[in-house]
Amino acid sequence: MLYELAVATLMSLYRMFAAYLLSLFIALFTGIAMARNRAVEAVLLPILDVLQSVPILGFFPIVLVLLVDRLGPGIGGELSAIILIVTSLVWNMIFGVYASVKSLDPSIDLMANVYKLPFPLRLAAVYVPASKTSIISNSIISWAGGWFFLTSAEVISMGSQTYKLVGLGSFIFDATDRGDIQALTAGVTVLFLVILTTYLLLWNPAVVRYTGLKILPGVESSYRAVDRAVASAWRGIVKAMLRLRVKIPGGVAFLTLIPLLPASIWLSGAGAPSFSTWSANLTYYLYMFIENVWVTLIRVYATLLVSLLISLPLSYLSVRSRRVGFIACTAGELLSSVPAVVWWPILLPIAFTYPWFVMFFVYLQGALWYVYFNVMIFGLQYMKKDILELAEIYGVKGSLYFKSIFLPALLPSILAGLLSASGGAWNASIAAEYIAVGGLKIDMGGVGSLIDKLAARGDSAGLLQVALYMSLLIVLLDKLVWSRLFKRLGSRYVVE
Amino acid sequence: MSSSEVVLSIRGLSKKYKVPGREVLVLDNISFDVGEEFIAILGPSGCGKSTLLRIIAGVEKPDSGVIEFRIGHEPRIGFVFQSPTLLPWMTVLGNTMLPLLARGVDAGEARERARRALTLVGLGEFEDFYPNELSGGMKQRVNIARALAIEPDILLLDEPFSNLDPLTAETLRSEVVDLWLTGVVPLKAVIMVTHNVEEAVLMSDRIIILSPRPAKIVKEVRIGLKRPRSRKMPEVQALVDEVYSYVS
Repeated sequence: MLYELAVATLMSLYRMFAAYLLSLFIALFTGIAMARNRAVEAVLLPILDVLQSVPILGFFPIVLVLLVDRLGPGIGGELSAIILIVTSLVWNMIFGVYASVKSLDPSIDLMANVYKLPFPLRLAAVYVPASKTSIISNSIISWAGGWFFLTSAEVISMGSQTYKLVGLGSFIFDATDRGDIQALTAGVTVLFLVILTTYLLLWNPAVVRYTGLKILPGVESSYRAVDRAVASAWRGIVKAMLRLRVKIPGGVAFLTLIPLLPASIWLSGAGAPSFSTWSANLTYYLYMFIENVWVTLIRVYATLLVSLLISLPLSYLSVRSRRVGFIACTAGELLSSVPAVVWWPILLPIAFTYPWFVMFFVYLQGALWYVYFNVMIFGLQYMKKDILELAEIYGVKGSLYFKSIFLPALLPSILAGLLSASGGAWNASIAAEYIAVGGLKIDMGGVGSLIDKLAARGDSAGLLQVALYMSLLIVLLDKLVWSRLFKRLGSRYVVE
Repeated sequence: MSSSEVVLSIRGLSKKYKVPGREVLVLDNISFDVGEEFIAILGPSGCGKSTLLRIIAGVEKPDSGVIEFRIGHEPRIGFVFQSPTLLPWMTVLGNTMLPLLARGVDAGEARERARRALTLVGLGEFEDFYPNELSGGMKQRVNIARALAIEPDILLLDEPFSNLDPLTAETLRSEVVDLWLTGVVPLKAVIMVTHNVEEAVLMSDRIIILSPRPAKIVKEVRIGLKRPRSRKMPEVQALVDEVYSYVS
C-alpha cells in the first residue's frame, strides 16, 4: 500500500504542476494579449467571462469521453484530467495578468516603444514583473481549487464506463468505495501533508511580501532556494529568447486561442449526438431544467450569503491581528484544498440524518473560498496604512469603523469574490446535490443532481443541453443583475 | 555650436487624431531643419508638441509629411520623458541598461555603458537603488542617464523639468546644458519640448514657437547669447519679453 500511495502522490503532484505551469503560460500570453490588443480583448473578454462562470464539471464527462475515444484511455485520460484542472486554475490567473498589464502606466508603453524593446525583453522587464503580485496571489486560490477538483479529474464515470487515473484522488475514492478505513486515513493524511507542505514552502512565503502576513522562520531559507531557482530558470528562458531574437508577436494571436481549446472540444462534442434526437428532446430537457432550477438558484444565493458572513468577520479580525491573519490564511488554504471526496466519509455519520447539511457543506466548499481569499489576500492590501492611521487618529471604532472604513475599502474585493463565488457555487451544485459513494446515496434534487443523473445514465445529449441552459441562465443573471448592481455600488463606494 | 550641417529635416508634417464622431487636427504642416544645435519647441499645453516629439522618435506615424535624418546611419535616439517612467521592480542600473539590452548589446558591455551614463548624471553611487528609494530629481536623472546610455545622435526632451521643484529644475537645466556643451556625449542635436519661455531662452540656440491647436509654426527666434546665461541678464530678460509677445 505504501508503494501505491507514493506513486499516487507523485502522479497527482505531477498533474497539479503540469496543469499549473500550463495555466501560468496561458494566463501570461492571453492576459498580455488581451491587455495590449483591442481586437483580442473585444473577442476574448466576454468569452472568458462566460467560461469562468459556467459549470465546467457539467461539460466535463463529454470532454473526457471524446478525448478517450480519440486518443485512448492512457493519453486521453491524462490529457482530460490536466485540462479539467487547468479549467479550475486558469480563469482568475488570466484576469489577474490582464488587469495588471492593463493598469500599467501608459508612459511605460511609450518608453518601451521609444527604445524598441523586443518582445522577450518586454515580457521579462515589463509585463511579467508588473503582474507578479497578482499571479502569486491568484496562484494561491487556483492551487487550492486544483486540489479540490483533483478527484473529479481522476475518477470520472459516464454511463457504464468509469475511467480512473492513478493518483491521490482515485486512491482515496477507491478506499472509500471499499470501506478500507486504513487506506482512507493514510490517503487523506498524505493529501493534507502535501497541500500543507506546498502551501507553507511555496505560496505563503511568496505572498508574504505583498500581504504583510507572517512567514515561518524555518521556511525562509528553503523558499529562498526555490525563489532563486525560479528566477534563474526565468532568466535562462529570457536570455535564450533574446539570443534567438524570437519574433513572437505574429504567433501571439495564435497562442491566445489556447483557452478556447476546451470550448472547441465541447462544440465538437455537440455534434456527436445526432441532431434529430437533439431537437426531439428539446422541450423535454428544457422542462426538466426549469422544474429543477429554482431550488438550485436559492441554494446558490444562500451559499453566497453564508460565505460573506464567514469571510467578513474573519478578515476584520485579521486586520487587527497579524497572527489571526496568518492562521486564517493557512487554515483557509488547507481547508479549501480538501477535495469533496474527503469530506463525504467524514460527514458520513450525519449524512443520513442531516443530508441537507452535507449538501450545503459541499456547496460552501465550492464557493466560500473565492470570497474568502479575495477579501483576505487582495482586500487587505487595499487597507492602506494611511487609512488605518486616519481611523486611529480620529478614534474611528466599532460599527462606524466597520461601516465607513472597513467595508468601503474591501468592497471591490468583496464584489470580485462574490462574482467568482457564484460561478463556483453553480459548479459545486453538481457535486453537492447528488452524492453516491460506497453505500451512501443522497439526492437533494436541483439542476446539479439532474446533471449527475443524466451523466450516470450516459445521456450525453441531455447532459449537454441542461449544462447549456444552466450556463445561459448564469450568464443572463451576471449581465442583467449582478454586473449592474456592482457597477452602481462600485462607483459609489470604491476608494482609490 | 554652429548650425551649418543639417542633421534632421522635417517637411510638411501633419497629424490628425480620431475622437468619436470627428477628427481633430493636431499638427498642421510643420516644416523645419535641425542643425547641430539645441532647439526648444515652445507652445501652450495640449498644442501637439509632444506628438511632434513622438513622431520624431518614430513611435507615432504622421498622416503626411517626411522626416529625414542626415546622419549616414540609423539614428540613435535618446528620449527623456516628462515623468521618469522607471520600472519600479528594477534597480537604477537595470533601468539604465534596458535600452542597451534592447539593441542587442551583451549584458557585461551594457552594464559598463550604463554605469558611465549614471556617472555623467552624478548617480554613480546609486546604481543598486530602486526607483522608490530616490527623490524626484534623482529619478529624472536616471531618466536622462537611460537616454544617454545608448550614446544618442539626437536627444529628445519632453518637458523634462516640469514635474520638479524649482530648485532641482534649475540645477538639472544647467547640468543638461553642460552635458551638451562639453561634448562628453557624442550628441549632434537636442530637441526640447517645453511651455516654459524662460527655460527655452536660457537653454537653447533656437526657439520654434507653435500656435495653439492645431499647431503651426508661428515664429522662430535665434538665441545668440553666450553661455552660461542667467535669468538676471538684461539680454535674457529682453528675449524672454520678445518671445512672450509671440506666445500671447
